Amino acid sequence: MSVVFSKETLKLARKIQGLTGENVMLCYQCKKCTLGCPSAYTMEMKPHELMRAIQLGLEEEIFWSGTLWICLSCETCNTRCPQDINILRVIDGFREMSKDMDYYNPQPFVPALHRIFMALVERFGKIYELGLALAINMRMLTPFKDIDMAYPMLSRGKLKLLPHKSRGAKELQQVMARIRKIEHSTPSPLTGESVGGE
Amino acid sequence: MRYAYFPGCSLSSSGIEFNLSFKYVARALGIDLIEVRDWVCCGASSAHATSHLLSIALPVFNLAHAEKDGFDRLIAPCLACMSRFKAANVELEHDPELREKIDEVFDYKYQGKVKVFHPLEVFLEIGIEKIREKMRKKLKGLKVVCYYGCVFTRPPKVAQFDNVENPQSMDAIINALGAEALDWSYKTECCGVSMTLTRSDIVLKLSNDLLREAKEAGADAIVVCCPLCQANLDGRQTQIEEIYKTHYGIPILYITQLMGLAFGAYPKEVGIQKLITSPQDTLGSIGLM
Repeated sequence: MSVVFSKETLKLARKIQGLTGENVMLCYQCKKCTLGCPSAYTMEMKPHELMRAIQLGLEEEIFWSGTLWICLSCETCNTRCPQDINILRVIDGFREMSKDMDYYNPQPFVPALHRIFMALVERFGKIYELGLALAINMRMLTPFKDIDMAYPMLSRGKLKLLPHKSRGAKELQQVMARIRKIEHSTPSPLTGESVGGE
Repeated sequence: MRYAYFPGCSLSSSGIEFNLSFKYVARALGIDLIEVRDWVCCGASSAHATSHLLSIALPVFNLAHAEKDGFDRLIAPCLACMSRFKAANVELEHDPELREKIDEVFDYKYQGKVKVFHPLEVFLEIGIEKIREKMRKKLKGLKVVCYYGCVFTRPPKVAQFDNVENPQSMDAIINALGAEALDWSYKTECCGVSMTLTRSDIVLKLSNDLLREAKEAGADAIVVCCPLCQANLDGRQTQIEEIYKTHYGIPILYITQLMGLAFGAYPKEVGIQKLITSPQDTLGSIGLM
């Protein structure tokens, strides 16, 4: 396959730079990111391949690979990149964009967990661990997953049955509403369109 | 010294013994902890995967509360919280556009005056000498590996503490208390906790690697400084043993629990009974239990 850089293929890299400030065109494929990545062993598209794919504008392949959601956010790649590319920030940029896109995602439960997590935080101001585990288990259709961990934790008082509400929850709800407003009024860097109302 | 204290969600549930033991050690060392008023979750790894602005706003919410109440130093024992807090400070300093948006979100304009610390940074600032002075019982005969976790030193621009690939702060404290901190190469490897509920297979593999390496290094226990690492290595140890058909039985102790015991605390005072993998044999053999 011959590879041609064109204005068209460069679009994706520029969009990502617009969103995150990171220039992936600096990557020269040294693979240091992939060699240090703890979850690269289970990625179809490894971190250095992800960088390449962005350079080539292979948007669909990136979303289809699931790499965005297998990344553990451990920051090893950022720390070691000789070109000082904040790879996690790039991945977070794609994760953020994925909200407005309809690509197939082979790892749908990871973003689902983030949504449930943030919904619980918005409701209570703190995370409700048991609720989070139950909700995501139901979503994954494995209601009894990790049930063996529950008793040792409950009996030691390390898992609360009921959620605890922060006194700051109300103030936080206002803050989160304002953030949504700001984000909905800024055009999406990928599509160039405003996402519209809530 | 007076600090704003951000316990975070973990320290009131799965990491309850970290809270107990840190407070014990803080009292002994004269660290004054005042909980951040009406604090909320830092967003951990879910916020930054959802919205960049939100991932900065959540830490700023808490930092602003601390600043308003007159604090210029904040302690966050959970590494996920600590890292998000430090990242918020660094990004606000370097990104005027982000600062503008943040100011739009909050009524109170956060000045960026609150410096964020992990307990270990504060301990080392107080000094190894002072820690040694407080020691009532030597931890002689105890061999451990220190596990720092993923974001303790990473990225260095944000963490701004200790050696990035080979951190030494816990090792220094452990050695000062008379125990032996063994050398191993997994100090800053990731345990995978951010995927603990969704991709447990990854977490089990990574945690198994850590437990296996610790055993091979000859450790009686793994010493940690993050409630998420602890919950993973301790809470999932039985599952790991079943899946990988092996036996570890390695207790996962918080650095503050060992410091507390060395300072003369009863095991209960530093939450030893809350650990799932029992440290009875390990601590009993050196007369600490």
